[in-house]
Amino acid sequence: MPTRIKLTDGRFELAEDPFTMVPDDREIPPGDVIISLNRFQSEGEQLLSECRSVGVRLKSDEPVEALAYDLPRLAVVALDFPKFGDGRAYSYARILRERFAYRGEVRAVGDVLREQAGYMVRCGFDAFEPADGSTVEVWDRAAQRFRHVYQRSVDRHAPAFEERGE
Amino acid sequence: MKALTANRLIDGEVVFWKDGRWVERFADAQLFDEAANEAAEAAEAHGKNQPTVVVDPYLIDLTEADGLWAPVSFRERIRALGPPNHPSHGKQAEGGAVVAALQNAHGAARSTGRVNLIKRK
Amino acid sequence: MYRYDAIDKDMLADRSAEFRAQVARRLAGELNEDQFKPLRLRNGLYLQLHAYMLRVAIPYGSLNPDQLRKLAFIARTYDKGYGHFTTRTNLQFHWIKLADAPDILDHLASVDMHAIQTSGNCIRNITADPHAGATAEEIDDPRVWAEAMRQWSTVHPEFSWLPRKFKIAVTAAPKDRTAAKVHDIGLVLKRARSGELGFEVMVGGGLGRLPHIGATIREFLPANRLFSYLEAILRVYNREGRRDNIHKARIKILVASLGAEEFARQVDAEWEKAGTAYDLPDTELARIRGAFAPTRFETLPPRAEAFEVAKASNPAFARFVRNNLKPHKVPGYGIVEVSLKGIGETPGDASAEQMEVVADLAERYGQGDIRVTHEQNLVLPHVKLEDAPVVWAALDAANLATPNINLVSDIIACPGLDYCALANARAIPVAQHIAEKFRDPDRAELVGELKIKISGCINACGHHHIGHIGILGVDKKGEEFYQLTLGGSGAEDAAVGQALGPALPYNRVADAVDTLVDVYLRERQGAERFLDTFRRTGVAPFKEAVYADAD
Repeated sequence: MPTRIKLTDGRFELAEDPFTMVPDDREIPPGDVIISLNRFQSEGEQLLSECRSVGVRLKSDEPVEALAYDLPRLAVVALDFPKFGDGRAYSYARILRERFAYRGEVRAVGDVLREQAGYMVRCGFDAFEPADGSTVEVWDRAAQRFRHVYQRSVDRHAPAFEERGE
Repeated sequence: MKALTANRLIDGEVVFWKDGRWVERFADAQLFDEAANEAAEAAEAHGKNQPTVVVDPYLIDLTEADGLWAPVSFRERIRALGPPNHPSHGKQAEGGAVVAALQNAHGAARSTGRVNLIKRK
Repeated sequence: MYRYDAIDKDMLADRSAEFRAQVARRLAGELNEDQFKPLRLRNGLYLQLHAYMLRVAIPYGSLNPDQLRKLAFIARTYDKGYGHFTTRTNLQFHWIKLADAPDILDHLASVDMHAIQTSGNCIRNITADPHAGATAEEIDDPRVWAEAMRQWSTVHPEFSWLPRKFKIAVTAAPKDRTAAKVHDIGLVLKRARSGELGFEVMVGGGLGRLPHIGATIREFLPANRLFSYLEAILRVYNREGRRDNIHKARIKILVASLGAEEFARQVDAEWEKAGTAYDLPDTELARIRGAFAPTRFETLPPRAEAFEVAKASNPAFARFVRNNLKPHKVPGYGIVEVSLKGIGETPGDASAEQMEVVADLAERYGQGDIRVTHEQNLVLPHVKLEDAPVVWAALDAANLATPNINLVSDIIACPGLDYCALANARAIPVAQHIAEKFRDPDRAELVGELKIKISGCINACGHHHIGHIGILGVDKKGEEFYQLTLGGSGAEDAAVGQALGPALPYNRVADAVDTLVDVYLRERQGAERFLDTFRRTGVAPFKEAVYADAD
């Protein structure tokens, strides 16, 4: 079974990935699937009624609000980075966690490089499919490059101004 | 006539291709005439396959200058010489006939030296 | 001045270590250039014509003597003995080796300096009034806010991979010395009638290919809501800014295409949903504010004997005082402007020796406080008038006392085609030729305030759009040509310059400027500056004179 890096309780591990990422032009196989927003909008209800876990993969120009009503029933939201510099998914991840209180998996897919691991974790991503061959150890180290952070964000890292208050 | 140039990765120095290696002086650069077009392109491909040695190799057009050769492009002449505002900085400080020819070359035809960006009629 | 605490220092050390590892991976071939380039840019490292260029951050233009001495050390040890101050109050070194860059960052970190986010599609150096803390005019000290924003923007989790670069300026005085109106976000500190502190927020200003003056989207933002509001602006930009075309990716394009009103509405909608969670706590603001409480100034008589005697007996010093000394809020003190525009020198460049002279003067006579302006000069903001003659003599000996601040030879010029891989034409020699024509200080004073700004290409790093005379280098069939504009301004009366006429060749530019000045001197009424005369007469008399003998 394929794997992805998963962040659970502050620890990274290589976890089996039960989901199949299904392109639009393929038939939907049995089991847990991640499909496009378009496909979800037409076939999502049907799939969700079939006792399987369903996830949606959002393109970087698709608004995360489109999933607002369905989030409680979605197991995964996969956010695509078409190029590592396309930073829209950072906003989407934060909105999912902070505005919609989404508790499912938020997965980084596409041009996902260790250089951005720290940013992703801080924005609420908890699953990663690195495109640069990063192992769990590499990803873990990359996500921990900075002992402090200046800003409050989704993660539980206390911002500097709170550390200073102590 | 063409030459192949790039910037060296480790220090950003302007370098020129010569027989399979990279040299710092334009005076030492390998010259590729019309007949050597294939060799020029092979050298460029070779350079692009050296990502830990040079950054962004590209061919430049040269023109005759005082019996020597100089890049057609004003920008490439500056790259081959150093900054005109500080004559003692960069490659131009060495002086000599080639440097003088570069400094005195006139009639720049294009600001970009890149051969493959120029549409040929 | 803000002192970095253990956390701030740790950030620099961690950043330096991160970059060292990235360089190692690049040299080992584990990162290709396309992957590495954005990473090195985020630490200010460009690959230019002759070598790498390192852009060191000088947050809100503020330096202490140790920092300036360290820059001198780096100039000597790793470069060719000089540095170049930029229009965003940073410092550039033009002859850097990639292999040395990690060590240089460590050296910088040892004096609480860095090159974090001085390039790349992220939030850049936040600039502020170089007279902050010294001018009587300010509503509040903008450095407090600039430092708070520096921390907030450093390695920001959500806004570090923007469509394009993002520049913020904050000013607090009626005279704007930051060009806030041509920034992505310009903040103007204000007080409400109630006395409450707040900001006017302008968005979508910018230069480059398509200059825009910023639009005010909020007249008064309570100061304690700054950070949640900034996050709202950045989030709208991060989501909606164009990602398909780098020439259309700045926030100014988004604001123009939505219209300022709609943009403001989207920001408000986002801001309302976000609430106060991301505002900075008052305790942290107070902590930062405390760092900027000034060392006590002495109680001095407003009239300093040594100063008055020197003025009366030394015409050169008197001229320096007329042009390079500005009033200070405390009686008996003055703001000393240090000109990096010696006639015939490269504008904005300072040698290692000159840096050390300024560092020593700041330490001895200036409360250890040095500033950089966006017009590529330095400032000693707190000098006792009685010390001014001694300070002037030391500056003069180091060629740092050219009495030309805001005059015609106080030219802003980008490095241009002498150094920059983006340039179409040279800017430095054009500046030098113009300055040479106005070497006579009497003539320069006769002309009065005249801001000439020169850019070597459309990216406008020389801020030519906001020059009283703007000069843009263009490439016409490989030859250097220059388009002149008139009537731009980067101050509180911001305006984009108007084209004068067809581009002129390199060897005609200085003469053309001479002609423009002659027209001004002929046409001016009363105390009009060049800019005022132009605004009254329009371009016609200027154009006619410059192109009188057109080919």
